[in-house]
Amino acid sequence: MKKQLLIIPTLIFLFIFITFFYLLLIDRNPTDIPSNLLNKNVPEFETESLFKKEKFISSEEFGEEIILVNFFATWCKPCRDEHVYIKRFSDEKKIRVIGINYKDNNKKTIQWLKNLGDPYSDVPIDKNGRIAIDWGVYGIPETFVVNKKGIIKYRHVGPVNKKNFKKLNSLIEKIKQ
Amino acid sequence: MIKKIFILIIFVFLSQFFLNNIYTVEPDEILKNQEQEQRARKISKNIRCMICQNQSIDESDATLAKDLRILIREKIKDGYNDDEIYKFLTERYSDFILLKPPLKLNTLLLWILPFVFFTIGIFLIFFHNKKSRKI
Repeated sequence: MKKQLLIIPTLIFLFIFITFFYLLLIDRNPTDIPSNLLNKNVPEFETESLFKKEKFISSEEFGEEIILVNFFATWCKPCRDEHVYIKRFSDEKKIRVIGINYKDNNKKTIQWLKNLGDPYSDVPIDKNGRIAIDWGVYGIPETFVVNKKGIIKYRHVGPVNKKNFKKLNSLIEKIKQ
Repeated sequence: MIKKIFILIIFVFLSQFFLNNIYTVEPDEILKNQEQEQRARKISKNIRCMICQNQSIDESDATLAKDLRILIREKIKDGYNDDEIYKFLTERYSDFILLKPPLKLNTLLLWILPFVFFTIGIFLIFFHNKKSRKI
């Protein structure tokens, strides 16, 4: 009986061991929290645009083509790092990119985009961070892929780098089909 | 020596007590209506700071935590009830934003497993003792 009982903790230990080992092996980011907005329409918002006189009205912008929405700020170092890849999306891949400027200074942003290049078709201003909250953003940079119907298909948390640029690209290709 | 150790223990306990009562709500955030402020504090204590993750927004000085504290207070002033505020937040940040996960099909294991392990533990101790007594 005692020997039989010993099997139970051994099995529990094995179960825990295999679970942790599996979680170590799979390609995942433990700090990545799945977005609750996936497969939902983009949140509706109206705000000032950095370069245009007219207001940015989300309902008029989404729903015709695949759009990349990038939350960025000039004070955010990872945003600077990923900027080269965001530019590649608009320059090489000809994807429309909207850059939501999060809690930033307008003058600094204009200068920043002059220096690093402007990949954005429009730059709506999120002065108090409320647009970011509506998108479920918890730390910039964050990038969303919105399909032709205006539905959020993917959320990338953190800077886009060489590795995840490819991943995002193949995902966009899939969404295009 | 014993007296010094005793004083040290008292000091540790007291500092722990006061630290637990520290919160980061800034004076300009506090609502004038005491009842509304109490509601905001209660909700904030149940909302996870998404950046620090193991702190509530009531304890966190992260900017997003501050934004959410202000937002909760605005919603309260606008007449939202507690459930509506929780719904607003979970719609954007999923159930992950709640420090206490709700009992749902995908969190069932999380809630049940401690009881399962506890029962197995009691079962093992019981049988082990029974066997020992026989010897």
